[in-house]
Amino acid sequence: MSLSPDFAFTQGSLQDFADCARRFELRFIRRMRYPALETQEPLQFEKRMRQGARFHKLVQQHLLGVPAEALTASLADDAELAGWWRNYLARGLSGLPAQRFSEITLQTHLAGRRLVAKYDLLALEPGGPAIIVDWKTGARVPSQSHLRARMQTIVYRYVLAQAGAHLYGGESIPPERIRMDYVYVAQGAERLSFAYSAAQMGEDEAQLSAMIAAIDGAEAFPLTNEERRCRFCSYRTLCDRGGAGRLEDFDLDEYADDEEDEAFMLDFDQIAEIEF
Amino acid sequence: MADKARSPLTAAQSELVSAPLQGKIWLEGIAGGGKTSVGVARVVTLLGQGVPAESILIFVPQRSLAQPYIAALRGWTAHRGGQVSVQTIGSLSLQMVETFWFLISGDAGFKRPQDLPNFLSLELAQYFMTRAIEPLVDERDYFNSVRIDRPRLYSQIVDNMNKAALVGFPISEIGSRLKSALASGVEQAHIFDDAQTCALAFRKYCLTHNLLDFSLQLEVFRDHVWAVQPARAYLRGRFKHLIVDGVEEDNPASHFLIHELLQSCESALIIYDRDAGFRRFLGADPDSARRLRDKCERKATLDETFVMEEAVAALGAGLGAQLGLSVKAEWDVDPAPALITEAHRYHPAMVDWVARQVETLVRERDVSPNDIVIVAPFMSDALRFGLADRLTQRGIPLRSHRPSRALRDEPAARTLLTLARLAHPHWNMPPTDFDIVFALMAAIKDLDLVRAKLLTEMLYRNGRLLPFAEMRSTAMQERITFDIGERYDRLAAWIDRYIDRDRGDAIDIFFRRLYGALLSRAGFGFHDDVDAGNTAQNLVDSARGFRWSLDFMSRYDEQIDLSQDYVKMVDRGVIANFYLRDWIADAEEGLLIAPAYTFLLNNRAVDYQFWLNIGSEGWSRRLYQPLTHPYVLSRGWPPGILWTEEDERSLSRETLGRLLLALTRRCRKAVYLGYSELSESGYEQRGLLLETIQSMLRRAAREGPNV
Repeated sequence: MSLSPDFAFTQGSLQDFADCARRFELRFIRRMRYPALETQEPLQFEKRMRQGARFHKLVQQHLLGVPAEALTASLADDAELAGWWRNYLARGLSGLPAQRFSEITLQTHLAGRRLVAKYDLLALEPGGPAIIVDWKTGARVPSQSHLRARMQTIVYRYVLAQAGAHLYGGESIPPERIRMDYVYVAQGAERLSFAYSAAQMGEDEAQLSAMIAAIDGAEAFPLTNEERRCRFCSYRTLCDRGGAGRLEDFDLDEYADDEEDEAFMLDFDQIAEIEF
Repeated sequence: MADKARSPLTAAQSELVSAPLQGKIWLEGIAGGGKTSVGVARVVTLLGQGVPAESILIFVPQRSLAQPYIAALRGWTAHRGGQVSVQTIGSLSLQMVETFWFLISGDAGFKRPQDLPNFLSLELAQYFMTRAIEPLVDERDYFNSVRIDRPRLYSQIVDNMNKAALVGFPISEIGSRLKSALASGVEQAHIFDDAQTCALAFRKYCLTHNLLDFSLQLEVFRDHVWAVQPARAYLRGRFKHLIVDGVEEDNPASHFLIHELLQSCESALIIYDRDAGFRRFLGADPDSARRLRDKCERKATLDETFVMEEAVAALGAGLGAQLGLSVKAEWDVDPAPALITEAHRYHPAMVDWVARQVETLVRERDVSPNDIVIVAPFMSDALRFGLADRLTQRGIPLRSHRPSRALRDEPAARTLLTLARLAHPHWNMPPTDFDIVFALMAAIKDLDLVRAKLLTEMLYRNGRLLPFAEMRSTAMQERITFDIGERYDRLAAWIDRYIDRDRGDAIDIFFRRLYGALLSRAGFGFHDDVDAGNTAQNLVDSARGFRWSLDFMSRYDEQIDLSQDYVKMVDRGVIANFYLRDWIADAEEGLLIAPAYTFLLNNRAVDYQFWLNIGSEGWSRRLYQPLTHPYVLSRGWPPGILWTEEDERSLSRETLGRLLLALTRRCRKAVYLGYSELSESGYEQRGLLLETIQSMLRRAAREGPNV
């Protein structure tokens, strides 16, 4: 089996490959769904994921014109989420250009493949700054060096530089105008920022091209040697790599689940299919 | 229809594709005329001219109809920019109601406007319908003269409410509309009154519990979300270019939205398939769609077929004309070469004949299996299995699709459900011996039926799996083998430990725990099995969706044992009945076996079609639905007018005529007719399709010079 010709790479799929080639193979080539538990505390894990998703939805609603007061009133049953929300309202949007696009997806092509990025928020000013905002709801703020090496940082900035012209007055966005901000709303909306440059874009392009070429040319997809990467991988029983990890050791912000967006927002129809 | 024979585009198509960016085009024609090809090329052209992808909306009545667009967009790797949106009225209204919920929830009548909405899939709507109205039905002895099971009964009430929302009349009018057209006596009138009462009770329940079934979601979207400025501004500001395909298969609610967006968009291409509209029983309204024609400055037609050979065209037109459709029949072209048949007395002989004909086409005439479809009005499990078995033996790759399939019928799901009952003895729902045999076979690798039966007979006692050592006879243990016995013990011990620990997991968590800890491990049945993994994931998704839709209920002081309720509802066929991911499989290779309408809604052409059971009444007769009626509840049926036998007869003829036209327009070379005097059930069959074919052939022989 090989990767489908119309497969679109995302930061999530590339991060999977970077972490474990076998995981990439199972998930994207064999398309094997594997419902084993990710952590030992599945309900708490689920609660965190749902809180994160709801926070992202709140921001989207706010940016589409739903008044903050109406949204705040809906948070009476979740003090933690309400705290994130307050932090967002206080500092989340400060200093951002006025032209904003929430939950927007861009794509470019590289090495004969599509490369897709789904952004929480793009705030741009034609001729001025072009800022990528990614909301993080996890309990920890990782190091700059860790984030710098993540595929999300590499892919998001690169794709915006390549595919964001139509949001920037029709002009290509100079890499130097691009900045990526991770905003940790559970930590007082602390912001970790990553500037961009033409040189960095060149390096990123080379790295991404090499990864895509490696995947397309791969004859084998070996299991990672770093077993710590298996702790939260649902395939670990298939690979005989032990039990699920503890939630306290898990970084929810690195739980990539963006692959479903690849399908152009396909719906689920609520009308029954024909029963003939 | 995206057809392999279409490229390159004709001059007429190219002219439409490159029409000026500003302007609205109405494009109609017969299926196979290249309309969807124009739509697909138009999207690519818009993007090529620098139109932002986010401003393009592809709007279709059903997601399968968007496949050519999605395939083209995915295949066009050169694109840099945003993404085109592909939506149905269901998906778009859901997103809009969810996004603008807190602006409209109070005005829309929800009792807790500050709580989140809970959108119900069809299966969950049926579940909540059961909760909301079953006490009423039992207490007042509703529907006592209707002889169909409760889930089907409730699904028709849901269907009535959906029709009201799609067509645009209040749900309080359902009963009166049905009564005035269909009630022939007091008993019938009572049934419709009961259906009305239940619909209103369910609506009240939904408003009280912040639940939105499809009908309420649509109503809220149309009457409330569309009325608030930020929502309207968002949609109008975003979607400047519309591509609407299959508009005749869509419903008045969709047509309302398209009409509204036409007022603000810069360009539009609306594609209308003439002589179609076969989703009428799902609310499709070609007449309502046609009103959009006047909103377009330019009208274009593509009526030249790119698909059918002459004889196939003559066949379709002849059949259509025979059934009274206003299509021009070319009596000077002989349809006979497009028609291949052989009469059989018994049904299995007909299935054998079909398999032999397919083999001949593939092996001797080099036809790709992708270019063959086998259709029937209904595709029973027996027929599907019979065909699949014979074709697989002949080495013919195939794929099969039913629009809905009960998850409980999937081996992996049945196994998980059986083991869940074992692990929850307090439910008092012990599995039967038969279920245990089946579950052991599926759960333990290389365990055959005989040994699974032996294990069950000797070790399944009082709802519990006893240890292998309890099997007293060493000879019997050796026959089963100690290797299998060891794995059996691991399974039994895992379940015992689960019971002892009294985990009380949510049922989806239980499924995941069992899957990860045991069934997916080496030596067990789901190990490295993609199908089992997919089915298990579908069951987990279904159970989790159930839990997420219900866990808020505790706020409303309704205590439910979610896990037990889930398993009960699966058993009753109320939930876990839909399996939408199977549509994805349609992209795969092989001969397609499907119900006729399912094939049509894939909107693709093939070289050869096999129509099976042509004597069946199912080709023309509506499903028995005593509580609902797709025509009486349509916009075109005037309230107060009686629906007569003659209306039913002419509907049957028109429905069959449209179906046959639609099928032949998706067929290039020939149609094989599968006929047996006796049906699958052993009854004589002489339905309208058979009669029509015979009449047409007689007429063609009489009137056609070449026949």
